[in-house]
Amino acid sequence: MDNLARALPRIAGFALASVSFLAVTAAEAKEITIWCWDPNFNVAIMKEAGARYTKTHPDVTFNVVDFAKTDVEQKLQTGLASGTADALPDIVLIEDYGAQKYLQSFPGAFAPLSGTVDYSGFAPYKVEVMTVDGQVYGMPFDSGVTGLYYRKDYLEQAGIKPEDMQNLTWDRFIEIGQQVEEKTGKKMMGLDPNDAGLVRIIMQSAGQWYFDKDGKANVTGNPALKAALETVGKIMSANIYKPAAGWSDWVGTFTSGDVAAVVTGVWITGTVKAQPDQAGKWGVAPIPKLSIDGATQASNLGGSSWYVLESSAEKAEAIDFLNEIYGKDIDFYQKILQDRGAVGSLLAARGGAAYEQADPFFGGEKVWQNFSDWLAKVPSVNYGIFTNEADTAVTAQLPALTQGTPVDDVLKAIDAEVSAQIQ
Amino acid sequence: MVHARRGSIGRYYDVNGWLFVAPVLGLIGLFMIYPIVWSLWMSFQSGRGMMMKFAGFANIVRLWNDPVFIKALTNTMTYFVVQVPIMIVLALILASILNNPRIFGRGLFRTAIFLPCVTSLVAYSVLFKGMFAPDGVVNSTLAALGVISSPIPWLTHPFWAKVLVIIAITWRWTGYNMIFYLAALQNIDRSIYEVARIDGVPAWARFTHITIPLLKPVILFTTVISTIGTLQLFDEVYNLTEGRGGPSNATLTLSLYIYNLTFRFMPNFGYAATVSYVIVVLVALLAFFQFFAARERDK
Repeated sequence: MDNLARALPRIAGFALASVSFLAVTAAEAKEITIWCWDPNFNVAIMKEAGARYTKTHPDVTFNVVDFAKTDVEQKLQTGLASGTADALPDIVLIEDYGAQKYLQSFPGAFAPLSGTVDYSGFAPYKVEVMTVDGQVYGMPFDSGVTGLYYRKDYLEQAGIKPEDMQNLTWDRFIEIGQQVEEKTGKKMMGLDPNDAGLVRIIMQSAGQWYFDKDGKANVTGNPALKAALETVGKIMSANIYKPAAGWSDWVGTFTSGDVAAVVTGVWITGTVKAQPDQAGKWGVAPIPKLSIDGATQASNLGGSSWYVLESSAEKAEAIDFLNEIYGKDIDFYQKILQDRGAVGSLLAARGGAAYEQADPFFGGEKVWQNFSDWLAKVPSVNYGIFTNEADTAVTAQLPALTQGTPVDDVLKAIDAEVSAQIQ
Repeated sequence: MVHARRGSIGRYYDVNGWLFVAPVLGLIGLFMIYPIVWSLWMSFQSGRGMMMKFAGFANIVRLWNDPVFIKALTNTMTYFVVQVPIMIVLALILASILNNPRIFGRGLFRTAIFLPCVTSLVAYSVLFKGMFAPDGVVNSTLAALGVISSPIPWLTHPFWAKVLVIIAITWRWTGYNMIFYLAALQNIDRSIYEVARIDGVPAWARFTHITIPLLKPVILFTTVISTIGTLQLFDEVYNLTEGRGGPSNATLTLSLYIYNLTFRFMPNFGYAATVSYVIVVLVALLAFFQFFAARERDK
């Protein structure tokens, strides 16, 4: 009885303390909602970033929502158009090709970060795609620097050594493809005729885009686009590719071991490495080169950045979080590079230890060092605001190209479609 | 007489009556009339995203010069012209076979044929995509039967992709139409068939001269419904082609084009609204012609 009487005030006090503690946290706790795609890449990386920030800011928690990329874009566009902020997240991932489109067609929807973030530390081309009228929006994230991933074992069977893969032209690449099919029965690469990604890679490697510096259509008089279409046409008529219907099908062409090479952005590394039984069998080389003026072996495909919504209730926390982790945390960039193959665009991060390391999956090659060297050589182009439209026009003409229509006629048809769409 | 007329006019002034229907009228106004009027107003505007400006008939002029719109319109009309007749005839034949009481397992077949239209749109599209993949079950079956020597590029060739979409929508909606015919067939007096049989009318003639004429109102109904459905075709194409309407825009429909204009391309809500009014006009015209054609034969 005595004991209980003595204990009661203490219990009451403890209960009161915990209630008030809960009330305080409830008042101060902030949840930042983030929309992004790709569970193996962006989602996982954002969760890692959130966990790092929560360590130093226990009152901030993160809700990373995983959608398909098209769903993120559709939901964002619907939400922005409806003007109801409740439907939108605090932070959203936007692919670089679409950044200007959102910034220009929904003015005031995104929070400007210039003044807060030190943009001089980032790759300039990433900052350029998020600048409108001198204001910079968004936090630059990953680069889409491209590489040629190839199966050493298949190429060896075809009599090709890794050294032979280093300074390829596209014509040589196609010859090798024919040799590989002859000797191993495998196709050289997977190709989705509905995806103009390869055309974009080849075009940008020669420093051109669908649009010129002023954003005007650059189709009929574009030697890089012409050469890119010719190259894809040659790949198709040489039949060194396995046709794929859609993204997952395309991924399946190399995860299943059906093809000998993949030409795409560095962000595919995580997917390639997701097949542990293929460890040691892969190598990475720079992409083949066009035989025209201005051709390089470096290009870019995709890459995206984080944007904070102006309407967000947690705007200040969201900006601080991005600046703290993505803007400064060098160690974070080492971790996501090793775990996920994410080549960030914070230049200071490139001096980190992870970039020096040899990757056993790629037979001990220093692939990250290579990728960051190539990143510095990517020709910068103006993506404009109509890349999706131009891309659709290109895929619409790819079958005509394989049926023997002259490239100049194909370019005219693309130009007609692009001109009708951009207004 | 006078009294009755005053009564019917008086109904219009009955406040209680109006109060009863007011909530519904309000909701209809808010969720139907307002969007319709607003989208019509929007179709005369143009611009990027939220930066819309009044553009007069610019969007309608743009339709004529837009190769993608022409392509989407042609595709949609191709689906309509090829698929609707196939489906209606197939549904009619299936319904009259399954209406025969001597068929074994009638209920089972009826259910099996109706089942596709209650399955999830996405699930069946994904299933079709797998079945018609280059090394999918359809190609391997056809190859095993010796029908084809190399796999048919169902999803990567413009012609075959169109065929695949037609197969998919026929599979899904034939059973739905069949149910209407089965219900209508129950209402036809069996004695008419008995008399015909006694008179020695062959089965095919009974089908064309008794069944079809008596089902005419239902056939008209299903044709109009199918017309509307086909002109609004979206889900199948979206899911089979990952939202692109490819290859080479060969499967792009008007609805998918509206989606692209709104969500994938530089958002142009005005132009997208114009394209959606094209569908409205087409559905109205086609339905009118179908009613007109059906009425003519009544004479």
